[in-house]
Amino acid sequence: MTFSLFRLLLNQELKLLSRNRILATLFSLILVVLLAALWVGSSQLHQQQRTIGQIGAHGRTEADSLARRIRRIEAAGMRYPGFIWDDPTYAYNTARNEGPQYAVKQPFALQALAAGQRDLQPYYYKVYITKKQMLVHEGEIDNSFLQFIGQFDVAFVVIYLLPLLIIVFTYNVLSSEKEQGTWVLLKTSNQSLAGLMLGRIGIRYALFTGFFWLVVGPGLALLVGPGFLATANWWWLVGFVSLYFAFWFALALLVNSLSLSSNLNALTLLASWLVLGLLLPNLLQIGLNQAYPIPSRISLTTAERNAVNRYFERDGQTLTKAVFSSPRALIRQASVVTPGMVYGYGVIVYKSQEIKDQAARVAEQQLVQQIERQQAALRQLQFLSPALLLQEVLSALAGTHWHQYNQFSRDVDVFRTQTQRFFYPKMASEQTFRTFTVADAAAIPRFQPRPYASYAWLPMSRLLLGYAALVAGLGLVGYRRLLSASR
Amino acid sequence: MIWLIVKKELTELVRTAKVGWLLAGMAALLGLALYNGYAYATTHSQLLRESQETTYQQFISQGDKNPHLGAHFGFYAYKPTADLALVDNGLEDYTGNSFYLEPHRRGIVRFKEVSDATGLRSFGFLNVGYFAQFLLPLFIFLLTHGIFAKEWENGTIKLLLSARVRPGQLVLGKLLACGLVVLVLVGGLVLGSLGLLAPAGAGAGGWGRVLPAYGCYVAGLLLYALLLTVLGATVSLLTRSSALALVGLVGFWLLGVFLVPRLASELARRVHPAITSVAFDDQTFRDMQYGVGDEGTKDERRERLAQRTLAQYHVKRLEDLPVFFIPLTIEDAEESDGRVMDRAYRTIEANEASQSRLVLASAALSPFLAFRGFSLHLTATDLNTHNDFAQRAEDHRRRIGEVVDAFYQHHTVAGNDFWRTVPQFAYTAPGLPWRLANAAAPLAVLLGWLALSLGLLGWAARRLH
Repeated sequence: MTFSLFRLLLNQELKLLSRNRILATLFSLILVVLLAALWVGSSQLHQQQRTIGQIGAHGRTEADSLARRIRRIEAAGMRYPGFIWDDPTYAYNTARNEGPQYAVKQPFALQALAAGQRDLQPYYYKVYITKKQMLVHEGEIDNSFLQFIGQFDVAFVVIYLLPLLIIVFTYNVLSSEKEQGTWVLLKTSNQSLAGLMLGRIGIRYALFTGFFWLVVGPGLALLVGPGFLATANWWWLVGFVSLYFAFWFALALLVNSLSLSSNLNALTLLASWLVLGLLLPNLLQIGLNQAYPIPSRISLTTAERNAVNRYFERDGQTLTKAVFSSPRALIRQASVVTPGMVYGYGVIVYKSQEIKDQAARVAEQQLVQQIERQQAALRQLQFLSPALLLQEVLSALAGTHWHQYNQFSRDVDVFRTQTQRFFYPKMASEQTFRTFTVADAAAIPRFQPRPYASYAWLPMSRLLLGYAALVAGLGLVGYRRLLSASR
Repeated sequence: MIWLIVKKELTELVRTAKVGWLLAGMAALLGLALYNGYAYATTHSQLLRESQETTYQQFISQGDKNPHLGAHFGFYAYKPTADLALVDNGLEDYTGNSFYLEPHRRGIVRFKEVSDATGLRSFGFLNVGYFAQFLLPLFIFLLTHGIFAKEWENGTIKLLLSARVRPGQLVLGKLLACGLVVLVLVGGLVLGSLGLLAPAGAGAGGWGRVLPAYGCYVAGLLLYALLLTVLGATVSLLTRSSALALVGLVGFWLLGVFLVPRLASELARRVHPAITSVAFDDQTFRDMQYGVGDEGTKDERRERLAQRTLAQYHVKRLEDLPVFFIPLTIEDAEESDGRVMDRAYRTIEANEASQSRLVLASAALSPFLAFRGFSLHLTATDLNTHNDFAQRAEDHRRRIGEVVDAFYQHHTVAGNDFWRTVPQFAYTAPGLPWRLANAAAPLAVLLGWLALSLGLLGWAARRLH
């Protein structure tokens, strides 16, 4: 195709598209929807940042208040005027009250584009020594009905809405020529018809994709700052989304090459959209749930509780008797809380927590392993549906994939163990029962937050190349069919 | 004459390969939806039933312990799977089903299954509800988009109108033909689900427990199918181009099923923002610690209780009381903390109800959303039922607290004989009148949509003259 012909085609396409009122309306609608999605995504990102700011401020206030209270008690000769269960010089009290620290997963800028599991997984935990965070924490307080409806983000617009616009944009590129009787005229020209069709669809692809990035790139930079442009995540995202659009344009070329009526073209493309975007992921879900059924978290609690009961049948009974019968504990009464009682409860609680954690670890491993098996199978099968592949890739690049939340949860587990190691020896000290000092308060372990935006589990280059090959294959088959149809 | 048109249309539809394939595909999907829904409901209901028994057994066999320590071991209240969850499991996986019954703090319902699911879950969960809400409209639109338009495209409209057939008869005949094909599919759905409900019907409570709600669901489904058929035929009649009608109807489906609900839900989050967990914890902690209004700090309340109790028993020291004082303080704190938590949770629930109302208001733009709301309420897999469960579980938690603290006032050790006196938890979702009252608003929206579609169809039919 010569440059002058390309320019002619481009001018022609621009005229055609600008005069098509339905298309102009749809384009305007998508522009509004895209801007709305960007705004929603970025404002949720800012909301998370604000919440994390509140958490930081809360942590500082708690730390100051704890140190101040301990100092006041020390200055008053260890006399605490309030309720004994609130006295921070008991390590067990501090471990329950001001001791628990927040662990935070920092949001990544591209999260504004793909919500992934953001609304379902916690991005911060309050880490207790006595409670396993994966059993006590859900995400933020949110309406389950709204979660059920799903999130409105750019990923949703790209995966669901834009393919439909591409279909409207391309379903009758060839058939309309036939239906309007201009096909015969075109055939009499000295240009390759297949080349003309490929050129028209190519131009439409370039216009469409260019328009999309022209809105999304500057829009996002304006809303969340341009920092994301320097990340590899962004450029992979540009590649995958552009290829996704290319897939639908290539499919439209192929369907157009079948020489069907406009109605049948539209029907075929819509059916493809339905199968690839909705049915196939659903069928995969049924298959994977059958192959790797995920145990309920209820099994974790059942395992924990069984272990505690077993413990209290023997060792636990001995410990309880030893603690309760100690003359220092004065625990065989229930009218006045004694220092020994606070200490005794602490000892029993941490001993049973060790037993619970040990038991839960086995059940938790089974749960996580099964989820990982499903995720691994999904990695193998995601190629079956471009919509599914794009969703997986987008959430990974945005730092909102299950893998990233799981990694965060694992890091929190490690942090919890550190916190337990810090508090347990202090809780178990029998010397005075009241061992917690200002220095200890300053030494309470703190979690180091980070964004979790690595996507190492996904072979990005291989996926992109494989996907590009599929698109090229579709385009090639369509082109060859058009070549033979125009002879 | 009408029946002649119906017969002619049915013959045409049956002979069209496209419709045959469409019906076969939908039948296969329906089979899969029925299987998937049934597998979900049976597995979940068995797990929850067994777990409820297991957790209670663990509690009543925990052996000798300090009563308060034993109460902290507690047990779980599990929300049983709804009887009609095999039809539509609604929010079940999004709300969680486990409520921990232990002293001091109101529990929250945990273990949302959806947080352990892969990204596939965001594409939906294929069961009868999903089939009816997402796929059935598409089937109806694919069936009806060309029902009138084809007459213009084939040039047969003039022939038809120049014959003795009146426009009204033509419209009614074509509508009835499409309606009959739709009815075949809906009939399969209704009978298939009914067959799978048989074990529930044969169980405790018999068919009387499931049939009335299911009957109402079916009535709503028929109304929905009728509305969509009328809508599809109307668009075909108005556009007079099958491609345009198809694009328009599928666009409407896409907007109504995905775009409008999601946009409305984001709008609801903006208009009625939820409190963050951090702020909620801070606020409730402050209220419990320092008191609300003039009730005083926790220490002051405890001191007042001590003075009251000493005066009641005419003694000077807590050690001289005929009952242990610690359980009295626990019970007193349960009451004042309970008031704080009740108020906090009521605020959250009221906010969520406002959010849900706003989303439902957007059903004025999407009949699909209205039917989804109707389905959730009728199958008792909605937020209202969930909140009802949470409230009953909380009531039970407090009842357990009272039982344990009453015992603790006189004993420092409790054995299995005592633990067995603590009542087990059981939950049954509210009955049909309650569900219908909840479903009234979405039902009204559906009826509004039907009236609008019929009005549009009448107007378009008059244009045929």
